[in-house]
Amino acid sequence: MVPKTQEKPVPLFRFEEIEHTADVALRVHGRDLKELLQNAAMGMAHLICEETFLSDDYDLQPVEIRADDTEGLLVEWLSELVFMIEVKSFIFQRADIQAISETYFKAKVYGKIARELKVHIKAVTYHNLKIEKTENGLEATVVFDI
Amino acid sequence: MIDSSNLIRISKHVYEIPQTFRSDMRVPARFFSEPELIKNIMGDRSLEQLVNTATLPGILKYALAMPDIHQGYGFPIGGVVATELPDGVISPGGVGYDINCGVRLLATKIDREELTPHIELLTASLYNNCPSGVGKGGHVKLKKGELERLAEMGSRWALKNGYATEEDLEKTEESGCLDGADAGVISQRALDRGQGQVGTLGAGNHFIEVDVVQSVFDEHTAGRIGLFQGQIVVQIHCGSRGFGHQICTDYVKKFQKCIKKYDLKLPDRELVCAPLSSPEGKEYLAAMKAAANYAFANRQVLTYNIRQSFDQALAGKVKNRHVYQIYDIAHNMAKIEEHHIDGKQVKVCVHRKGATRAFGPGSPEIPDQYRDIGQPVLVPGSMGTSSWVLVGTRKSMDQTFGSCCHGAGRTLSRSQAKKNVRGTQLLEQLKAKGIHILAGSMAGLAEEAPIAYKDVDRVVEVVHGAGIATKVARLEPLAVIKG
Repeated sequence: MVPKTQEKPVPLFRFEEIEHTADVALRVHGRDLKELLQNAAMGMAHLICEETFLSDDYDLQPVEIRADDTEGLLVEWLSELVFMIEVKSFIFQRADIQAISETYFKAKVYGKIARELKVHIKAVTYHNLKIEKTENGLEATVVFDI
Repeated sequence: MIDSSNLIRISKHVYEIPQTFRSDMRVPARFFSEPELIKNIMGDRSLEQLVNTATLPGILKYALAMPDIHQGYGFPIGGVVATELPDGVISPGGVGYDINCGVRLLATKIDREELTPHIELLTASLYNNCPSGVGKGGHVKLKKGELERLAEMGSRWALKNGYATEEDLEKTEESGCLDGADAGVISQRALDRGQGQVGTLGAGNHFIEVDVVQSVFDEHTAGRIGLFQGQIVVQIHCGSRGFGHQICTDYVKKFQKCIKKYDLKLPDRELVCAPLSSPEGKEYLAAMKAAANYAFANRQVLTYNIRQSFDQALAGKVKNRHVYQIYDIAHNMAKIEEHHIDGKQVKVCVHRKGATRAFGPGSPEIPDQYRDIGQPVLVPGSMGTSSWVLVGTRKSMDQTFGSCCHGAGRTLSRSQAKKNVRGTQLLEQLKAKGIHILAGSMAGLAEEAPIAYKDVDRVVEVVHGAGIATKVARLEPLAVIKG
């Protein structure tokens, strides 16, 4: 386990929507796994909701994820958020990460409640998913079933 | 990348990618198409995904795809894979997240002229009574434990609670209930997601559409099914909502461990699978059946809401407002079936992802009323275009494990569609054609613009030409309800 470190602000524009015939795909970048997970969550939040439809106040959800590998960790993390979107309209804003490894992730997740959603994400897929090392850190392409 | 030089034309409408194309293929890949439709899929990864499914352990004969094939995740949409029991595999990704997404066709004795003055009122009534759109809950409030009963009983739950008639169930695939569904294996998350969504349409490409039977191609069969020219009918397209989405999510996760456990070599992790005889395989099948039953009950409650809408909008205006069921079919499902393969009756698990059953005359799975004519096949077009009613054939039993296409199939991504057309503009264009639309989201509407889809008429010509289903009637839209 990596000990808790001081939070840096999550950089914007660390994700981009890429073409997919039937569904939606996001290419996500991060300097490290911590940032990759947060940028992926931020990317998904941008896909599904306009900022103007968010509550002013923050809500807090504790999250703990275990997976067999890093790709699994990314899918399970986003699937957790899909669940919170569907049952609570909870939209990710930022995470205070308490512990992280390649197969474990524990965080306090701050989100806002959406009054209206623009896209319904059914699920996060493993389709061709691979977290790859790049010059600047890590990169992954996630396909969502919508 | 697969190009046309890799394809062998087996017959006018059948193309093959031979097993020699890739060393991990266990069988050849075959798809039904024609030159114009093939152009649409050469630009994406549809055929590569089809080839990937040919690697699944226990696959028999061919990895198949219907003419509406398009790129998905894991399986292509339009894919059909049959695996042999007991040790062939079952793949949650081969069914998809929207388990038992399907189409129901309802009919009336109302003709177009009779409805025309009241169409806007009916459209508004349908929109009000049938919750649609992202995050919209349903009117059905379930007590504790009731969702589990619904998941095990499917449409029978709806019958018991006053949302269905016996006739509705008789004219639903599997009578609206898959035996062997086990609510005991369903996660709390799936129950939480499904709790408030019974009787809801959802968003994306799901819809309720009021159509007119524009042309009849086979008078005898149309008459037997209960269709006639000029008649008002209604289609429902939706599935198992968050309940099914979560069940698939749960099992794609659980099955990741099966890769190592069963020494699976898979080209894509979304294809994760387990032998049908394994504890994991059996558990998924029981969970999938529960989601399938939820979807049958969901479309049944929407049917009830549609009947109420007809009564509310047309009382005192139209005499016979009776809305009766033609058929309800699944197009995302895995089914244990017996097929005649190489001279033997073989028990198989047929995965149909974006493909329907199209069983030929005489099949015991077809309702009594339709058994001698073949199973009705419902093929909705894209918004604002035709839809089709076909019937399955004996040839489909030989060629496609009794399967057929499920729709038009996308050609443009959602973002490309939005670049090409604006929702409000599309609304006006369709209105000018006499089609009334009520949609929760203009952006969502643009994503479903007809230009984003293949021409459904071409798709149907292929299945008709190949003989895996034959044309009965073509429907034209008059009103569409979307999320």
